[in-house]
Amino acid sequence: MFHALVSIKQVPDTTNIRIDPETNNLIRQGVPTILNPYDAHAVAAAVEWKRKLGGQVTVITMGPASAVTSLRECIEMGADRAILISDRKFAGADTWATSYVLSEVIKAIHAEQPIDLVFFGKQAIDGDTAQVGPGVAVRLDLPIITYAVKIHEVDLQNRKVVIERKTESRNEVIRASLPAALTCEKEIAEIPYASLPDLVYSLRYEPELWTTEGPISFDPTQLGLRGSPTTVFKTGTPEKHKGGEVIKTAELGVEGAVRTALDKILAVEGMASLLGVSK
Amino acid sequence: MVNKNEKLVFDVIVVGAGLAGSAAAVTAARGGLNVVMVERGVAPGSKNYFGGALYTHSLLDIYPDFFDRKPPLERPVTETGFWFLSKDGMVRMTVQGGKINNNPIDAYVAQRAKFDAWWAEQARKEGVFLIPKTVVVDFIRENGKVVGVMTDRAQGEIYAPVVIVCEGVNNLLTQKLGLIKHDFKGNATALAVKQLISLPAETINTRLGLRSSDEGLAISVVGDVSMGLPGLGFLYTGKDSLSLGVGVTLDALSAAQIKPYELLQRYLNHPMIAPLIAGGQLMEYGAHLIPEGGWSTMPQLYTDGVMVAGDAASMVNAMHWEGTNMAITAGKAAGETAVEAHKKGDFSANTLSAYRKRLENTFVLKDLHQYRNMSRFLHNHPEFMDVYPNFLNDALGMFFTGFGKPKKQLYSDILKSLTSRRPLLKAVGDMVAFGRTVMGI
Ligand SMILES: Cc1cc2nc3c(=O)[nH]c(=O)nc-3n(C[C@H](O)[C@H](O)[C@H](O)COP(=O)(O)OP(=O)(O)OC[C@H]3O[C@@H](n4cnc5c(N)ncnc54)[C@H](O)[C@@H]3O)c2cc1C
Repeated sequence: MFHALVSIKQVPDTTNIRIDPETNNLIRQGVPTILNPYDAHAVAAAVEWKRKLGGQVTVITMGPASAVTSLRECIEMGADRAILISDRKFAGADTWATSYVLSEVIKAIHAEQPIDLVFFGKQAIDGDTAQVGPGVAVRLDLPIITYAVKIHEVDLQNRKVVIERKTESRNEVIRASLPAALTCEKEIAEIPYASLPDLVYSLRYEPELWTTEGPISFDPTQLGLRGSPTTVFKTGTPEKHKGGEVIKTAELGVEGAVRTALDKILAVEGMASLLGVSK
Repeated sequence: MVNKNEKLVFDVIVVGAGLAGSAAAVTAARGGLNVVMVERGVAPGSKNYFGGALYTHSLLDIYPDFFDRKPPLERPVTETGFWFLSKDGMVRMTVQGGKINNNPIDAYVAQRAKFDAWWAEQARKEGVFLIPKTVVVDFIRENGKVVGVMTDRAQGEIYAPVVIVCEGVNNLLTQKLGLIKHDFKGNATALAVKQLISLPAETINTRLGLRSSDEGLAISVVGDVSMGLPGLGFLYTGKDSLSLGVGVTLDALSAAQIKPYELLQRYLNHPMIAPLIAGGQLMEYGAHLIPEGGWSTMPQLYTDGVMVAGDAASMVNAMHWEGTNMAITAGKAAGETAVEAHKKGDFSANTLSAYRKRLENTFVLKDLHQYRNMSRFLHNHPEFMDVYPNFLNDALGMFFTGFGKPKKQLYSDILKSLTSRRPLLKAVGDMVAFGRTVMGI
C-alpha cells in the first residue's frame, strides 16, 4: 500500500494582485484565494500514483480556517484524508517555523501509517521562497528531489523511487530511497476533472483540525513569530526595465551600426578580456 | 460521511446560482424540500455581470432582515434619472431627495461577483446544497418525463422530480426542452459592454456632487452614447468605483458594423464623460447579453417536471433596467410551486401551471405584457436615441444663451432645430406612439 502525503498552501491569486503605486505594497484586499497551483499538480501526481499502486493520499496544510476550501479541492481531486493545522499561535511563521510544524505533523502521521513519499509544490506563488519543502526534508532527514517533472517509478518492494527533475541546463533522472520528498513542477501531472460523486463527496468533507492543543504537542518556542528567525526589513518592487538603446542603420549604415554596437559592448569593464579580444 | 457511490437524489434541482436560482432554491428549502443548486462557475457570481442596481423590494421579499445580514452592497441610489448626450454636450434630468428619499432606499448598486456569492451563501445557510464548477448539459427523461439532469462530469446524473431552470440568457436547456424554438432574436437581445473603473471614493463624490459615500447614482444615458442605435448607456457609482457601459441590440450592431468595445470607448472618451473617469484604473472589462424582448420572446414557462425563471424566460424590462427583481420574484414563485407540487405528489405541467398564475398576479407578467411592444418600437423609432436627445441639448442650450436676442426669434430657432430633424407632425406622432407603447394602451 502506497501512502503519499502532500503539503499544500492556500495563497492569494497573484494573477489578480495589484501593487499600490504609492506605497509599493501588495493590495490584498478583495483578492480571491486559491490552492497554490504547483501544489495542485503535486496532489494530482500523488493521486495518480495512488490509483496505480493502491493506497492513500493524505493532505495537510498550515493556515487559516479559510484554507479548508483548498483542502476540499484536494479531496475533490481524489485525496482521501485532509488535515488543517490551524491556531493563532502559528501565525506569523516564516519558512523555518513552518517547516518545524509541518515536520512534526508528518512525523505523527508517519507513526500512524508509514509514508512513502512527501509531496510539495516547487514554491508558493505568494512568497516564492521554495524553502519549505527542502526545510521539511532536512528536518525529517529525507532525500529531497526539487523541481520534479516526472515520477518514472515507485517501487514499494525495493523501497526506491525514480524521479526526473528539471535544472536550468538539462533534466536529471534521480534514484532515491523511500521514504523521500519531492517538490513538483506543473508538468508532474495534469489536474483531473473530478467525477460528480467525487465532487459532491469533497463538498461535504470536513477536514480534521489540528491545533496546539492536540492531537500532538509542539515546542512553543518554535512557533509563529517567536519561532521565526527571518526579519523582513524592506520590501519593494523591482525597477521597471528601461527600453534599450536603438542604433539606427538608416543613420550609420549596417557596418557603422555594428561597429558602434561592438564598441559599446567592449567598453563594458572587463568585457574584452572575458571575450578574449582586444579593443 | 457520504458514500461515494450513492445515487444523487433530491426533491428539487435548481440550475444556475444567479439571482433567480438562489431565490428559487431557498424558497423550496423553506418548504422543507431537499434542494440542490448546480452552478457552472467556480463560485456563484463568477460568470455574472450587470450594470447595475438591485431593487430593495425583491431582496426584502426573500430576506425580511436583508439589511441586518450585511449584504455586500456598494452604494444606495440617492440620485437617479437620465443624461441625454449630444455629440459634445449633455442635458441631465435626475431626481434626488423627495420621493426617492425612502427608508430603506429603493435601489442599491452592487457587483455581481460579490453579491451572487453572498446571495447563494444565504440559501446554503437554509440547507440548499450547492454544487459549483459543474455544467448541466441535458435532462434525464423517463417515459418522456423529466426526472433529473445530466451534468458534464463523469457519473454526472442528479435526480429529482422537479427542475427549476434559472440558466440566464444563454438558455440552451430551455431550448432543449422545446419551450422556445430558437436563441433569443438579434433584434430583441442587447449586447452590453462595461468597464469598472476604480477611483478613490472622495474623487467620485466630488466629481459627481455626492455629499458622502452613502450617496450614489444610477443613470440611464441616452443619445450619442449609442450613436443613435437602439440602446442605452449607463453609469452607476460603487463605493470606490464607477461602472460605465452601453448596450445595443445585436442586429443594430451588426447592421451598423460597429464593434461593441468601440462603442464603449467612444462613450468613455465623450467630453462630458472623460473627466469623470480621468485617472481611474480599469478593474474589470466585460460583456453580457440582455434578453430585451420581454413578452415577445418569452418561452413557455413550464412543462412536465420543469419551470423556467429569470433571464432564461426573457424576464427583463429594458426601459426600467428591471431584470434582477423579476428574476428573484419569478424564482420565488417557482420555488413555491415546487413545494406545492411535492405536497400534491404531482409534477405534471398541469400542477406547475400554478407558477405562471402566481406570476400573472405580480409586476413580472403584468409589466412584461404592458411593455410587450417596447423593443420593436425602439427598433422602429431610432429618433429617440438620436433626434430627441440632440434636440433637447440644442433647445436648452439656445434657451439659456438667448441673451439680448428678441425671444420670438429664439423660439422660432428652437422650433427649427427640431423640425429640421423631424417634421413637427411626425414628432407629435412619435410622442403619442411612445406614450401608448409604454403605457400599453
Ligand atoms: C450590462 C447589464 C446591466 C444590467 N443592469 C441591470 C440593473 O441595473 N438592474 C437590474 O435589475 N437588472 C439589470 N440587468 C439584468 C440582470 O442582470 C438580469 O436580468 C439578471 O441577472 C437575471 O438573473 P438570472 O438569475 O435569471 O440569470 P443570471 O444572473 O444570468 O444567472 C444565471 C446563472 O446560471 C448559471 N448557468 C447557466 N447555464 C448553466 C448550466 N447549464 N449549468 C449550470 N449553471 C448554469 C450561470 O453561470 C449563472 O450563474 C443588467 C444586465 C446587463 C447585462
